[in-house]
Amino acid sequence: MTRVWMPCGHYHQDYARDQGWWQTPVIKGKMILLLLVVFVGFPLFLDEYWLSVAIMIGYTALGALGVQLLIGYAGLITLGHAAFIAVGAYTSTILILRFPWPEFFVNWGLAYPISIVIAAIVAGLWSVLFGLPSARVKGFYLILTTMAAQFITVDFILTQYVSQIGGRGQAFSLPPGTIKIGPWFIDSDVKVYLLMIILLTLMIMLMANLLRTRVGRAWVAIRDNDIAAETLGINIVWYKLLNFFVAGFIGGIAGAFWIANLAALSPEHFPWFLSLWLVGVILIGGAGIDGAIFGSIFMVVVMELLQIAAIPLSDYWPKLMINFAFIKEMAFGLAICAFLIYEPRGLSYRWWQAKNYFNLWPFSY
Amino acid sequence: MNNAGEVNEGDVILKLENIQMAFGKVQALNGVDLEVRKGEIHSIIGPNGAGKTVMMNCINGLYHPQKGNIYYKGERINRLSPHKRAELGIGRTFQKLELYGGMTVLDNIRMGSHIHLKSGILSGSIYAGKTKKEEIEDREFIEEEIIDLLEIESIRDQVAHMLPYGLQKRVELGRALALRPEVILLDEPMAGLNLEEVEDMARFILDINEEKLWKVTCVLVEHDMGVVMDISHRVVVLDFGNMITDGLPEEVSKNPQVVKAYLGEEDLYITRR
Repeated sequence: MTRVWMPCGHYHQDYARDQGWWQTPVIKGKMILLLLVVFVGFPLFLDEYWLSVAIMIGYTALGALGVQLLIGYAGLITLGHAAFIAVGAYTSTILILRFPWPEFFVNWGLAYPISIVIAAIVAGLWSVLFGLPSARVKGFYLILTTMAAQFITVDFILTQYVSQIGGRGQAFSLPPGTIKIGPWFIDSDVKVYLLMIILLTLMIMLMANLLRTRVGRAWVAIRDNDIAAETLGINIVWYKLLNFFVAGFIGGIAGAFWIANLAALSPEHFPWFLSLWLVGVILIGGAGIDGAIFGSIFMVVVMELLQIAAIPLSDYWPKLMINFAFIKEMAFGLAICAFLIYEPRGLSYRWWQAKNYFNLWPFSY
Repeated sequence: MNNAGEVNEGDVILKLENIQMAFGKVQALNGVDLEVRKGEIHSIIGPNGAGKTVMMNCINGLYHPQKGNIYYKGERINRLSPHKRAELGIGRTFQKLELYGGMTVLDNIRMGSHIHLKSGILSGSIYAGKTKKEEIEDREFIEEEIIDLLEIESIRDQVAHMLPYGLQKRVELGRALALRPEVILLDEPMAGLNLEEVEDMARFILDINEEKLWKVTCVLVEHDMGVVMDISHRVVVLDFGNMITDGLPEEVSKNPQVVKAYLGEEDLYITRR
């Protein structure tokens, strides 16, 4: 909620401008440039490998946005967000594969887009179901109830029942051609990337708008002081459940997007570690929407760099690549420890400091 | 500000009837009656542990009394939850500061006008047309009526928990005002302030009580007898959950029971003059 300092000599003359996202022409220019880079530059110039890294970043960011909404904005600590991503992914897959779509819908490539929306809503409602205990418990106890969401949803319902209807043992597989948006088949990395960046941008817009209106303020109010929030006319339970809904909704989008990338689906893609990982992402990223984005970039890129570094070393330690999953987890733990000790406010705070340094330059205040 | 159920100046707007509130064996309130008339500043005084804040919490809905009735504009509100009572027009500030620490001052106050805005998650996430208009209009009202009144223009972009205590108290008053209440419960608004800040705060309370735009009925809990006796229209005295007296400030300050229970034998209460 902290505001960005305006560059020296800039003042607003009406309230509408002060409420805006991009408050000066310079910022507007920078943001448009950024959008151009991610929408046009990356798909044109990145090779397949780095595109897949970018896709991974986008997926992590979509998941982390939901976690940020719960933990960062409403103070509802969750360790079960992978469950809602899984619900989104499964709903979308089952809709695509099993729903008797009219010929018209399939030909026009509407099945997948519609399934994304339905998957998001189902995941949101599922999230509300497990958000119900938040009416009574908070803090540490809420963590346990959200972990219940993870184990009930993924380990029990999805593994034992839902994944059995997919055939092929445990996994669903989406044959080529089933994932189609309009006239385009989502079959190459570039197209998956574009789908990701569109969904991510939409979700960021949705969240940024929510957070500057009444609903967003109510969430932050509940986080900071629930008693005061209640005496000022906020129905706490309702707004907590709304928060769970929106977080689950974004998680569902993430899940429904992920099947376009993998073209296969099994409960192993949504382990409890993914929930933990997403919390780690926002711990490292820091506050705000940009925190979720920075955290995702950092985590994914650091892990990739580790892997690149590990390849030449595997000549000396042949087991290194086999055990890489463990090294990844160790690095994750180390990164979180290091951030909690040396920069508890995360990358977004560092970014904010750097930005303000230049905005206020040459003065330091 | 709210128009549901017209109450004219001088009519009873808030009525407590035989309120009994016990925590285990401790009888915090023992058959307290109170009538607050519209347009008044009605003070509640008493020694520590007399049940003043409990009474506030009962009016506000944070506590539900075991016995007795609370009427607001003639309507029994015993069973309503705090946020419903806020919607009826009962605002509140707290003794121990209960601001939203992570929000800016402006957002703290804007949050107070929650019940006057309408956007939901769908309209809010698009932020166009009506939503945008109501946000801007609300902000305009807050900037020009509340922030201007409380003289906190210079700190409105600062994060609330970083502010000095006196300013935080002011922000809290502003937040309660953004609710546009008809009755405001002020729980020790002067506690911990220096003389100058007390004078400012007293002026704000008189302003919101008298100005045409606000006309807020105030229920004030305060220990600063100088302020209480100067600005209140009526004073209630509580002692260990029992109501000793309810009357005009001059009567109350001369009441022998009150002097014994709270004020002390000498004129100790005029400390700050």
